[in-house]
Amino acid sequence: MTNTSTWQHVGDSGGADQRHPQTTAFTAVPVRQSFAAHAAVNPPHPTNNQSASMAATTEPKKKIDWPESVRSYVQRSFLPANMISEVKRDEMEAKLKETISKANDTGVMYTINWETMELPQQMIQNERKQALALQQIVGQYPLASQQFAQSFAPPAIPAWQPSVPVAKSSRKRKSSDLDEKKLPSPIPPWRSGQAGQSLANRTTFADQEAAPKHSAKSQKEKRQKYDGGYKSTYRIPSPPPNDGPVKGTCENLEKRYLRLTAAPKPELVRPERILRQTLELLKRKWKQDQNYSYICDQFKSMRQDLTVQAIKNDFTVEVYEIHARIALEKGDLGEYNQCQTQLKALYQLGLKGKKIEFKAYRILYFIHTANRSALNDALADLTPTEKKERAIKHALDVRSALALGNYHRFFRLYNDTPNMGAYLLDKFVRRERLAALCNISKAYKPSVPLRFIAEELYFESDVEAAQFVLDLNGESLLEERQDTIVFLSGKAGQLFEGPKKEAFSKVDIKGQI
Amino acid sequence: MDALCAEFAGARADENGYDLARTLSPDFPNDTLRAIWQSCNAHDVKSVVKRELSKNVTGMQRLSHQELAGWVEVYHAYWKAVGELLAVQSSWTKVFGAWTELLTALLRGYNAHGFEAWTIPCLYVTGKYLRTFAIKADDERNSGSLTDNKAAANFQDDFNPESEQNATLEDCARQLNKIFNICLNDRAPLDLSRKWGIYYVTNLLFKTYFKFNSASLSKNVLKALSVGRGDMPDLAAFPKSQQVTFKYYEGVLCFLEENYVEAEKYLTEAWNNCYKGHMKNKELILTYLIPCHLLTTHTLPSQKLLEPYPGLQKLFGPLAQSIKRGKLHAFDLALQDSEDEFVKRRIYLTLERGRDIALRNLLRKVFIAGGFEEPKEGDGGKPVRRTRIPIAEFTAAISLGSQETLDDDEVECLLANMIYKGLMKGYIARDRGIVVLSKTGAFPGTGL
Amino acid sequence: MASAQSSSKNDGKAVADSKQPEQPTEQKTAAALEEDDEFEDFPVDDWSVEDTEAANGGEGTQHLWEESWDDDDTSDDFSAQLKEELKKVESSKRR
Repeated sequence: MTNTSTWQHVGDSGGADQRHPQTTAFTAVPVRQSFAAHAAVNPPHPTNNQSASMAATTEPKKKIDWPESVRSYVQRSFLPANMISEVKRDEMEAKLKETISKANDTGVMYTINWETMELPQQMIQNERKQALALQQIVGQYPLASQQFAQSFAPPAIPAWQPSVPVAKSSRKRKSSDLDEKKLPSPIPPWRSGQAGQSLANRTTFADQEAAPKHSAKSQKEKRQKYDGGYKSTYRIPSPPPNDGPVKGTCENLEKRYLRLTAAPKPELVRPERILRQTLELLKRKWKQDQNYSYICDQFKSMRQDLTVQAIKNDFTVEVYEIHARIALEKGDLGEYNQCQTQLKALYQLGLKGKKIEFKAYRILYFIHTANRSALNDALADLTPTEKKERAIKHALDVRSALALGNYHRFFRLYNDTPNMGAYLLDKFVRRERLAALCNISKAYKPSVPLRFIAEELYFESDVEAAQFVLDLNGESLLEERQDTIVFLSGKAGQLFEGPKKEAFSKVDIKGQI
Repeated sequence: MDALCAEFAGARADENGYDLARTLSPDFPNDTLRAIWQSCNAHDVKSVVKRELSKNVTGMQRLSHQELAGWVEVYHAYWKAVGELLAVQSSWTKVFGAWTELLTALLRGYNAHGFEAWTIPCLYVTGKYLRTFAIKADDERNSGSLTDNKAAANFQDDFNPESEQNATLEDCARQLNKIFNICLNDRAPLDLSRKWGIYYVTNLLFKTYFKFNSASLSKNVLKALSVGRGDMPDLAAFPKSQQVTFKYYEGVLCFLEENYVEAEKYLTEAWNNCYKGHMKNKELILTYLIPCHLLTTHTLPSQKLLEPYPGLQKLFGPLAQSIKRGKLHAFDLALQDSEDEFVKRRIYLTLERGRDIALRNLLRKVFIAGGFEEPKEGDGGKPVRRTRIPIAEFTAAISLGSQETLDDDEVECLLANMIYKGLMKGYIARDRGIVVLSKTGAFPGTGL
Repeated sequence: MASAQSSSKNDGKAVADSKQPEQPTEQKTAAALEEDDEFEDFPVDDWSVEDTEAANGGEGTQHLWEESWDDDDTSDDFSAQLKEELKKVESSKRR
């Protein structure tokens, strides 16, 4: 029996039921044309969400079929006798639309008692009264929580602006470096070549949020507040029909992290509006106190609140990015890796963020963990344009330098690492020094100047280079001659092989998949 | 349904598992599927199957009461799955669900209804299509809008993007694992054992895990297999299709772990036993075998080998050419040109290491170009190559064709690598700016 | 006798191809390139030794693989260029 593929049959089966007279008692299920084409056939009455969403992709959005009760509600609203002079007709229309579509979206269109529902003009009037009352209590701001938010983020001076100058600094960019111009430059003179450049290229929180954007956000918050007010007046107390994500109602900014073992309670989950304020608070606290265990705990609870509410937007990206940077700075690679895994997926959804910066870290991270297959995936995830971006190009160059044993190039790149990548490079620079030392020990005879080792392997000084050799029991390989010290590479033998092997086998990170 | 039952009887008379498996296939023209679906209804399907099986399977072949009950459940599940397949309002997720039920009914047949080992191709077919439907279900869900698929409650700390994307396929893998275990753990004597199903389902699992990019799960399968291998039939006793597929995956898994020697061994076995007419699979085997050869024995595919595969010629031709000539810059360009293709096939990082071989060949040419020393007394008249080569000569050679000129320190670094890796014998005398090469075997294995 | 496998050899592919999601118009990454690298089911379940690659010129594979360094052609442009470069190095040193 030779079967041609079922899936390639297209065309004739639409009316097949009619051609096969039904002899049995069951109700025939309509037959689809083929596996692939079935979505194109519009089901007459979607019976569940699945088919409804499938239908939505193939046909223009259906007009909502209003029940009689709604139609008479609309008519009632526009009866001249019910009009209120302070409320304009277009405001009414907007409110009406909002009320009805909300009822439709939440599935209460048919259950709501439209007879007793407040008319749109009455709603608007009540809201205005409410706002006025609040204004009298809290002053110039129309809403209480707006005032609350303002106390954390005054519009003129953003909260993240440093109040104290950052004293500590290094060639690495810190997650708390918010004022980049004032950094002193304690870079050793013999490696100062690139320093200015790498400082100038840093990115910080600062460039993510310019002031205008901030005020736009306030606008948005205001809108959300209005919606919230409306809801609390009219929401039907029954739970939503399907088990969707929770909607948090918690108003506290700070929250300790606790692993969930059951469905979260809405009153313990913070909505995005609050989480945004939390982020500002945490940024400030990080800068002031540098208390990592507190910060990490708080970020984890933020991430959890975002996840349980299925919030995936640019703000989510920002939370993960900032947590990732802080974790990097503190060398907490487990936590960093959790963040970068999320970020990869979030960027893939098309969300905005510091994609280039983090894709570069991702490459460096997988170099550190020597995870070849993840490295391959990270390469596969780059577009041609991204490959030319400085941070990514740097990471790719580091990767290929190490792959080809080109320690010379690697250590030049080490000195010129954009953003916070140096925190990652620091994690494996020792093992690469060992590898290079093994190479040199086998290839050079009879000796090389210690200065050569210091320069090739990028030690801060000859002293540091000598210390490195001494720590590996290489005192017999260092010899003083006239005014220089030489490294007797020809006599090193296998001395550095053991430490090298050990260094490469020790990549064990919590949170690594 | 009566036709299916008649086929069932025929297959049972011959003890032909593949014929039997065909009665559980979704791969029929729509008309046939529809006819199956319309021949019964939800109320009578079980009694119809029971009646037809009893009627068709007679005499010596007659099914025990227990076995009959098992097959009735299987065909009932099949009938429902066919209905789901035909239904306009269905989704691939539902089809997958229905097919999972069919598999469950089958597995119960082996566990509780005494299904015999010759029927295992039923598991092959069910498992194979289960995977097909799982992939379709994931595609369908993923192509929906962003907000569509996140309605499910998530109580984790973070999202799990990977499993969100492959949720159905992962579920499928768990189902296939049940088949794996039911085959592996059969204690019946070999000629009546379900162990004969092990390689088919292993291959299916490999395919599934590769699809969602989990080599580590594949390794677990290999481990389970090697534990049970003692009392298993020899791989050579299995059909060649299963042997070759298994060796291919085993080889690729070693390849991904950078175990190129083992990888080469398995891939060569797959290559030798491969069906000569299946160009696509032969091409895939070579895709991994070629990089293996490059790293293990530093050998390259000949023109003759690549000739039948234009795709491979395009992929590996320029690279092989540049390695052979020692054209370092051309190598870099070739690697860059096909980077996406290499990365996609997961061979980029391996091929990149071929640069060492290209470099070795280039240095070798510099050595040859250096000619011979002036004959000295005591040499016995045998010409000796010049073994002291200025770094500057290597620098010139390495920079050839490239825009940038490398500084001597970087060149020394590359030379040190060659020496460290044993591709070149000699040492660098930094104070004199030269490399002193070994008088014998300066480039081991290359006739010099 | 055709096996269940043989009759359905290409279906996996047909199914897989029938509903490709639209690719974004942006630049493609390697990951986004179309996947066609799955090891396929063979058209038949088993075959004789005569039908294997090894029996058809695949084995005695030695002549199919050649040494990477065995480049006899020293007359090409590249070799000439190389000689030229090396000469330059030498003469610059003599000066």
